[in-house]
Amino acid sequence: MKVKIKEWNAIATWRWNMPDDEVCGICRVQFDGTCPTCKFPGDDCSLLLGKCGHSFHMHCLLTWIQQESSKGLCPMCRQKFEWKQNDE
Amino acid sequence: MLKIWSMKQQQQKAENAEGGKKKKKVTAAQLRVQRDLQELALGSTMKTTFPNPDDILNFTLTIEPDEGMYKGGTFSFTFTINQNFPHDPPKVKCSQKIYHPNIDLEGNVCLNILREDWKPVLNLNAVIVGLQFLFLEPNASDPLNKEAAEDLRLNREAFKRNVRTAMGGGAVKGITYERVI
Repeated sequence: MKVKIKEWNAIATWRWNMPDDEVCGICRVQFDGTCPTCKFPGDDCSLLLGKCGHSFHMHCLLTWIQQESSKGLCPMCRQKFEWKQNDE
Repeated sequence: MLKIWSMKQQQQKAENAEGGKKKKKVTAAQLRVQRDLQELALGSTMKTTFPNPDDILNFTLTIEPDEGMYKGGTFSFTFTINQNFPHDPPKVKCSQKIYHPNIDLEGNVCLNILREDWKPVLNLNAVIVGLQFLFLEPNASDPLNKEAAEDLRLNREAFKRNVRTAMGGGAVKGITYERVI
């Protein structure tokens, strides 16, 4: 029997490469969810991985870092927060 | 795919039918406070009360220390949380006029994590543990009530007596304190 495919729809799923139950320390929402100001997860609401080993939703961390009282420090360990580049 | 669209449209219609007026947006601060409140470990010595149950950003915490120099007293603190929480710490004030080295006569509290050492990964539980600790271990090195701190540093026993006097509604060095027992 020959089958002719007329149409097909591809579906894909994705998730951040993070342990299942880990939450952002600032908003306490899972990394797979968005930060509280965003509606859709993905590149528009990405994660920031710190060199100190602590990660946050990008928007959560930026709100903190832009605040003077943060002194540019990681809210977890109080080391200077520097983020890893993608290829590191 | 088509089905999802029509479902979405129906949902939109239902929302519009409700009249948009009921759309109360839950803010990031509220979400975070909700989580913090769920994780609160109050134990037997603390209690929270919400004057307005719809407003979780304003509440009162009552502490009744069951050991230490302040044992037997009832102390209440008002928590005022702004929309920038958890980037800003909660504002905490003691409602009574009490004799304590780290709490001034207006009720302002000197606790590092309420000011310079606050960071957004701390939660409300950290704050209430801090408050509880102030009653177990008053700290003379970072005072808001300088006289009380001086008393504690120079003569711990005399300080203890002053605490009892003040808690009973008496006067210490000319200042009358509120009765909290």
